Amino acid sequence: MTPETLQGMTQDFMMTETDPQMVKSPEVALAVRNLNFYYGENHALHDISVDFPARRVTAMIGPSGCGKSTLLRVFNRMYDLYPGQRATGEVIFDGRNVLDRDLDLNILRARVGMVFQKPTPFPMSIYDNIAFGVRLHEKLNKADMDARVQDVLTRVALWNEVRDRLNAPASGLSGGQQQRLCIARSIATRPEVLLLDEPTSALDPISTARIEELLDELKEEFTIAIVTHNMQQAARCADQVAFFYMGRLIEVDSADRMFTNPKQQQTQDYITGRFG
Amino acid sequence: MTLATATQPTEARDKAGVSHSGSRRSGPDTAFHLLVAASALLVLVVLGGLVVLMGVGGSQAFRTFGLGFAFRNVWNPVADQYGAWAPLFGTIVSTLIGVIIALPLAFGTAFWLTAMAPPRIAAIVGTAVQLLAAVPSIIFGMWGFFTIVPFMARTVQPFLTHHFKHVPGIRFIIHGAPFGTGLMTAGLVLAVMIAPFMTAVMRDVFAAMPNMLRESAYGLGATRWDVMWKVVVPWSRSGMIGAIVLGMGRALGETMAVTFVIGNVTAVGWSLFAPRSTVASLIALQFPESPAGSLRLSSLLALGFILMLLSFASLALARMLRGDTK
Repeated sequence: MTPETLQGMTQDFMMTETDPQMVKSPEVALAVRNLNFYYGENHALHDISVDFPARRVTAMIGPSGCGKSTLLRVFNRMYDLYPGQRATGEVIFDGRNVLDRDLDLNILRARVGMVFQKPTPFPMSIYDNIAFGVRLHEKLNKADMDARVQDVLTRVALWNEVRDRLNAPASGLSGGQQQRLCIARSIATRPEVLLLDEPTSALDPISTARIEELLDELKEEFTIAIVTHNMQQAARCADQVAFFYMGRLIEVDSADRMFTNPKQQQTQDYITGRFG
Repeated sequence: MTLATATQPTEARDKAGVSHSGSRRSGPDTAFHLLVAASALLVLVVLGGLVVLMGVGGSQAFRTFGLGFAFRNVWNPVADQYGAWAPLFGTIVSTLIGVIIALPLAFGTAFWLTAMAPPRIAAIVGTAVQLLAAVPSIIFGMWGFFTIVPFMARTVQPFLTHHFKHVPGIRFIIHGAPFGTGLMTAGLVLAVMIAPFMTAVMRDVFAAMPNMLRESAYGLGATRWDVMWKVVVPWSRSGMIGAIVLGMGRALGETMAVTFVIGNVTAVGWSLFAPRSTVASLIALQFPESPAGSLRLSSLLALGFILMLLSFASLALARMLRGDTK
């Protein structure tokens, strides 16, 4: 895709988008303040404070169990599904604390989409996989729904591959296609934030490259938070990188500085592969 | 994901089979191989033996009344006239009532246990469900006799008769004197008996569903209701069919509990509140009174044969329904 067509697509999207939030574009999409997280008695995140700039890719890196996925699951309150898991502190999203007890989780999750380590197509057709999420929040007629499905599938570069079999089960797609479908499904509800939890860990290198390209395009519209184990991936995709270790945020900086000149010795050791 | 999970066991079994027959075996391994093969073959022998015994034993009845024996609506030991239709009807209808009542109960319990209940309470309720499954059927029979039958006779039937006796379509279902026994009572008791089994199977099926898939649905802003109907149910379809068949299998053959509450009258009719009989209850009651070599005994064995066919048919139906998902 050439930069011109990409530009055109983005403008198109901006013009059809009526949500004033998108146009106003706050500098910080998610502001985390003094966040602590507990799995029962286990204190998993300690006093995290970090900003996620709007329409940028922020990569979260660190060894397994450092808390990066846990942080991601706070942003859409996914941990709420599990009794015994709780968070304290603040995550400010669009002027509200995500951790508020009385926040409408269904609306929050429509605005903060999530993609997982493995592709998770629902047991239904390709079309319905996309329409499922949209139907939860909007009443669209057939033509509008068709347009929405085509739009998001085009944006994840899947449309040409599946246009003839939209009614086929999504489980018949390849792993890479399934993951792109899952991304399409997440952006179909028109979220502002996209959470990606190691989205390429189950994919081959070619599929991985396509997803990374996709992230580059998606960040024009969405604030992206991605958890990754892959240093190269973080370097390739991210504008900002946050390094976590043992439930603490060690360092956060622009990707350039983080990988060339980190301030902390621990960060240096991790990104050069001395541990982790 | 569904496909992968569903085909995995078969693949694994195939692979295991291939590697076993292909590899050289040492002495003890050969003995073990023979032992497990023998126990597997024993299943076939026992199953075949059962079918033959029932078939041969019932042959006199089938010769006398023809294959129409299955649909003859008469059971008269005095005139030596027998047909399977009344008990067969009772068995099928009471089983269907049991499954229809147990299915939502089991589904709800299993879903709550796996998706919503706090772990400690889930553990308690889960154990209670297992205990309920372990209660001998005679206990359910006595409970049905002393609790459900009077409840049906004194409360449910007068209530229904009072409110619905003039409603066409419902009238003929509730018609009958308030004995408290009948297909509905049997179905209720059966439901309580098979629900724990169905719950256990469904719970395993739901637990096997990848968390990530569930979270994907919640992650789009779906409510529990959406997740249940649009993701969990389609995903676990084959497992749920398995649960239904397991429940049906138990309900079809259940003898003691049903005998206590069904009233034991060999008649056919749509009223769910009139005394009826089932294949198993009829066999249990009349077997001791049937002399060896009599047409009556042969008819009872023929009933057993038909009951077995019915079980096989429900299993085959389940296989067919499950095949549809692929």
